[in-house]
Amino acid sequence: MLRLQDVRVTLGDFRLHDISLHAKQGEYMVLLGPTGTGKTVLLETIAGMHQIEKGKIFIHGRDATRLPPEKRNLGVVYQDYALFPHLTVRKNIAFGLELRGEPGYKSRKAVREIADFLDIGQILDRRPVNLSGGERQRVALARALVLEPYALLLDEPLSALDRSTRDRLRRELKRIHKEFGVTIVHITHDLTEAFFLAGHLAVMKDGHILQEGKPEDVLKRPRSRVVAELLGIENFIAATWTAGVLLSPMGPIDFSPPRFDFAECPKKLYLTVPGWCVEVLPQKEEKRYAWMGNMRVAGVDLMDGHLELELSHSSGERLRTSVSRREVEALAVSFEIGRKVPIGLLKEGIHVIPQ
Amino acid sequence: MKSFKIIIGCLGTILLLMVVVPLLRMILAADPGILKTTVTEPEVTQSILLTLRCALWATLACAFLGIPLAYILARWQFPARSLVQGVIDLPVMIPHTAAGIALLMVYGRRFPLGKAFASVGVSFVGTEAGISLAMAFVSLPFLVNAARDGFFSIDPRLERVARTLGASPWKAFFRVSLPLAWRPILSGGIMMWARGVSEFGAVIVLAYHPMTAPVLIWERFESYGLKYARPVAVVLILLCLIIFAVLRGIAGKHREV
Repeated sequence: MLRLQDVRVTLGDFRLHDISLHAKQGEYMVLLGPTGTGKTVLLETIAGMHQIEKGKIFIHGRDATRLPPEKRNLGVVYQDYALFPHLTVRKNIAFGLELRGEPGYKSRKAVREIADFLDIGQILDRRPVNLSGGERQRVALARALVLEPYALLLDEPLSALDRSTRDRLRRELKRIHKEFGVTIVHITHDLTEAFFLAGHLAVMKDGHILQEGKPEDVLKRPRSRVVAELLGIENFIAATWTAGVLLSPMGPIDFSPPRFDFAECPKKLYLTVPGWCVEVLPQKEEKRYAWMGNMRVAGVDLMDGHLELELSHSSGERLRTSVSRREVEALAVSFEIGRKVPIGLLKEGIHVIPQ
Repeated sequence: MKSFKIIIGCLGTILLLMVVVPLLRMILAADPGILKTTVTEPEVTQSILLTLRCALWATLACAFLGIPLAYILARWQFPARSLVQGVIDLPVMIPHTAAGIALLMVYGRRFPLGKAFASVGVSFVGTEAGISLAMAFVSLPFLVNAARDGFFSIDPRLERVARTLGASPWKAFFRVSLPLAWRPILSGGIMMWARGVSEFGAVIVLAYHPMTAPVLIWERFESYGLKYARPVAVVLILLCLIIFAVLRGIAGKHREV
């Protein structure tokens, strides 16, 4: 559906480095990366707004590399929605239809239908300046969707919203994707958003795609420390692979991950340990843990529904995890700083990456 | 806070008085009888109408040529951008009589471009076309700079979104950029027109005749003295004030919509 082949773009000092991506028909692709990493440039390149130095872009099976934006039939929704301030909501939505020369009655019908679907029928005569953030987003989506684009390109569409609106519109995006079956490329720096929406996840930094795949696969098997960090993994335990044993400063680790070729890997490794794998007061079967031992509570942060714990091992290694308030009550343990607590590292979430 | 308001209020008032007092003094000193005679004098009315008309032609011509240039300056990045910007600002800096001489050396009858225009029946010396040209040359920075700032203030992503919705670059310009920038453009146009009306130095070099109002005022002052120059000046000022207020009112009214 949407395929990028070794696309290189240079804008001043910034460069997109030979990007290759493939979003299948009807797929929800999320490009995850920190701010200033080139996500918007990539999105605008797909939309035809930047000159490509090298590579090709295929849209709907057709080479669109040299096509101007107006010939690509892609809908773009920006972070601040870029609604035309001099036009009413109705005229904003009908803008593309008018340019296509759709007859008035058809245009009015299409505007009405999409407005009803997105629940913005009551604001059609307002100007963008008089809309809330959520309403603006719906109008921008309506303006793009009414043209039935081959794909929808969303540039951090939820980041300008307050938390409750963001949560609601996240579900709304899922509904739109399901109902319209449109291919979506969505860029964000928000992990929750990415994992909630992505059918396919690509992790990006400094103009490079570092890793892509199904979100659960990327999360379980990050290819590098940078990817792991971008995926929100905070715990990295340095280890060495010696004589078939993984040794860490915390002691031997009972772990041999599937699909990992130790013969080819360097001897120095990192164990990536997501917070949920660090279990306080381990109660499962012993063989499910890669490591068990005591750690001291080095820090406690009280969050809305959970406690953020920082744990320290006598070797100097530090791990972070969170415990829900319900778990804290069930465990009947008070997490005072300096207190020793038994910890188990669950095998199922641990992964090994080269140092 | 109170002292801050008082001080900046006083400073602003001083500047305002520097403009208002001489104008008011001149208006109040005018003899109503002579003023009435002056208004009905064909030479005066023709001269004022000529001035207003030529300033309008100059503004319209510069809008046609200057708006695209303003857009380029606002949107495109190119090596000579600062140089082009400097060239646009140049007419404000150079003495206007020098500007008139420069124009004469290009559009005069003895010079190639002047000859070329003359061959198709257009002359810039001693004609309305020459007056408009002189007015345009010295006042174009007002329009071009205002339009450039207008385009610059528009988020370029609006144009990009318009393109993705099917608009060609032309349609994106005419349906998004221009409607959003029209107010600064109008404002710049009004300023340019007003500056054109007041032009003397460049006009007098290219076209002493037909006489624009500033030239007529000068001529009456030289030939008959202050008493006969003043009524023409007062009529011109009052007329410009009315036109200016109406145009500003239109621009302001649309701002509130």
